Amino acid sequence: MPLEVWQEQLRRGSLDLAILLTVASGPRYGLAIIQHLETFTDLVVSEGTIYPILGRLTREGLLDAEWVEDEAPHARKYYRLTRSGAKRLAHMKAEWRAFAGKIGRLMEASERHDDAAQ
Amino acid sequence: MQLSEAGESRVQGYLFVLERSLNTFLPREVVRDAVREIESHLRERVLTATASPNEREAVERILGELGPPLRVAQAYSAERTIDEAVATGRLVPIVRAVGHLASTTIVGFFAALAVLVGYLTAFAFVAIAVLKPIFPTTSASVTPPAFRSGSARSSRSHRESTWVAATRSSRSRWPAGWEFSSARTAAPAASCHGGATGAFHSKMGVAF
Repeated sequence: MPLEVWQEQLRRGSLDLAILLTVASGPRYGLAIIQHLETFTDLVVSEGTIYPILGRLTREGLLDAEWVEDEAPHARKYYRLTRSGAKRLAHMKAEWRAFAGKIGRLMEASERHDDAAQ
Repeated sequence: MQLSEAGESRVQGYLFVLERSLNTFLPREVVRDAVREIESHLRERVLTATASPNEREAVERILGELGPPLRVAQAYSAERTIDEAVATGRLVPIVRAVGHLASTTIVGFFAALAVLVGYLTAFAFVAIAVLKPIFPTTSASVTPPAFRSGSARSSRSHRESTWVAATRSSRSRWPAGWEFSSARTAAPAASCHGGATGAFHSKMGVAF
């Protein structure tokens, strides 16, 4: 598998978690979510691909969406975390930390082995 | 930044293409909501963009960051159809998801083709099996001439009771060289073939 494909899979796999983390601190509309993700990560390759993910997370009941008409010259669709979304986020965070810990230990062991070989 | 008429029509054109693309696979109310959200995104981007002497360039940059409308529509399609198919397991979403994969990837196209041919074949066999008890003499299969050459033809002598073509009237309905086999022909064939294959031929009324 080419490196680019692996990176793309990694990016896609972590976008759900990144979006839920972004919305966890309070309701945000689409562009605000994208800007937050762009500030802290490079996960957003194309802005247009974030909205379908937001739609799916809403259908799954993890996010709640609401149009707000009178805040700007145009309407904004705000997303907030639901109770089910908060539960899922807690599980995902725990899972991510455990996973990252395992891979980290594996990398350390591999590097120790490399050092010993030299 | 305030859009000129040309800039506004460029944005409207983008939204039009997006809406047309989404309409092919999403329900109308979902399309309306999605287009409204993308329009809100574009308006927000334009509003916060610094005024530029080259408006066209600025609008193209904003649209470029969003992605081509067909790509955005494809992202919606992937999230919606495949997710729905996996979540519900219902026939229509599954067919829609297969259609999506078939229209967007080469492997998906051939996979969908194989699935379609497989299901149609299976359906044909089931239909013959169901119709056979009701129309024992007319619901049957046809054997193309190519299948009757070589060993298949020579083995016919062993299958004494596998007599082909029930009546002249039945035979006359098929092109020259094709054989018509009725239920009566298949049952004895089963005894010659023996085992599961024979039983299968017997049930399906297929005589090669």
